[in-house]
Amino acid sequence: MVLILIVYFALLLIIGIVAGLVGSLSGLGGGVVVVPALTILLGVPIEYAAGASLISTIATSSGAASRYIKDGLSNIKIGMSLEIATTLGAIAGSLIAAYIYSIGLFQIIFIIFGIALLTSLIPTFIEYKKRRRSRMNIDWTTKTFQLGGRYYDKARKRMIRYSGFRWWFGEAVMSVAGITSGLLGIGSGVLKVIAMDWGMKLPMKVTTSTSNFMIGVTAAAGGAVYWALGYIQPFLLAPVVIGVLAGSYYGATVLNNIRGTRIREFFLTILAIAGIEMILRGLGVA
Amino acid sequence: MELEKAIGITLRLGVALSIILIFIGIFLTFVSGNLENLSESNSSASSLAQIVFGLFQLDGISFIFMGLIVLIATPITRVLLSIFGFLFERNWIYVAITLIVFINLMVAIFVIPGLIIK
Repeated sequence: MVLILIVYFALLLIIGIVAGLVGSLSGLGGGVVVVPALTILLGVPIEYAAGASLISTIATSSGAASRYIKDGLSNIKIGMSLEIATTLGAIAGSLIAAYIYSIGLFQIIFIIFGIALLTSLIPTFIEYKKRRRSRMNIDWTTKTFQLGGRYYDKARKRMIRYSGFRWWFGEAVMSVAGITSGLLGIGSGVLKVIAMDWGMKLPMKVTTSTSNFMIGVTAAAGGAVYWALGYIQPFLLAPVVIGVLAGSYYGATVLNNIRGTRIREFFLTILAIAGIEMILRGLGVA
Repeated sequence: MELEKAIGITLRLGVALSIILIFIGIFLTFVSGNLENLSESNSSASSLAQIVFGLFQLDGISFIFMGLIVLIATPITRVLLSIFGFLFERNWIYVAITLIVFINLMVAIFVIPGLIIK
């Protein structure tokens, strides 16, 4: 009995480490790996897998955010103004999840998760093209919500000033990001990037670090509801959280240089297979 | 700038404290040898009072729960700190925005659980 538990514990720790590694290397966050790995490989009920993923997301976000703040990349004001939508969305999303589970439609969550995972891979396959930004990206929300800032670009060795606009567009997409986060237990980083980069025309570096910064608060709202629903299992979470933190820390520091190589493509392929597997599981085929 | 520093420190301290609590919890769980029903315990069954009581009894699962509570509380503390930061800057619109985010979080923690029928 004790031996089985130790093996189970070690497996969870390894899954966490791999999830943290793949999450930070692919830029998609650990959640998209934790949920398929726990459900498909270990047969953990999906609501507990989502709970474990959501809480690990808080850990990686808080861990990485302190580093981004030091670099001056994340914009606390823009992040905060959009968290109005993500926190409300997360509450709604986790309640929708609770309703779906209560009527026994677990398969639907598998299918939605698979679709979300596959669509989030699309932008990573398309090469991010540097485009000219129009200088006119200013409207009334730019001034009211103070959507601007500056950061030091290490590569270009100079201060970059920026401003964003279309706050309402950002807010609308962020509410969807929040719902997805609460429903599936993931960070929904891709939707956050769509809102800030495509919608509000903020620089990519500011977008990714601010998104990472926001994920913790979004997941805290969803996590609190998950807690009340009983989706948080301490023995499952302890190894997963520690593993994800260790893996993402290693991925962000030591392995940072191998971005954009074959290893990354290999991870993305694994994620694509996981996405398809989730959909098949939901359809009752696998 | 001072606010950003304080937020950075809060986040790091929160994660560190949470990891320490979880490690103690794992250690106590395995040492106690009380490994029955482990995979069945979940968050809906334990109240904060029970968890705090469990800490004094050196109950491993209570330590893990406490670590997870600290983890969830970390970004919330960050929001709370920001309210004071924006108050200090007299940035009223952001005081209001941050208050709304904080209220949303409090609703998620204290109001929603009461509405969930178990």
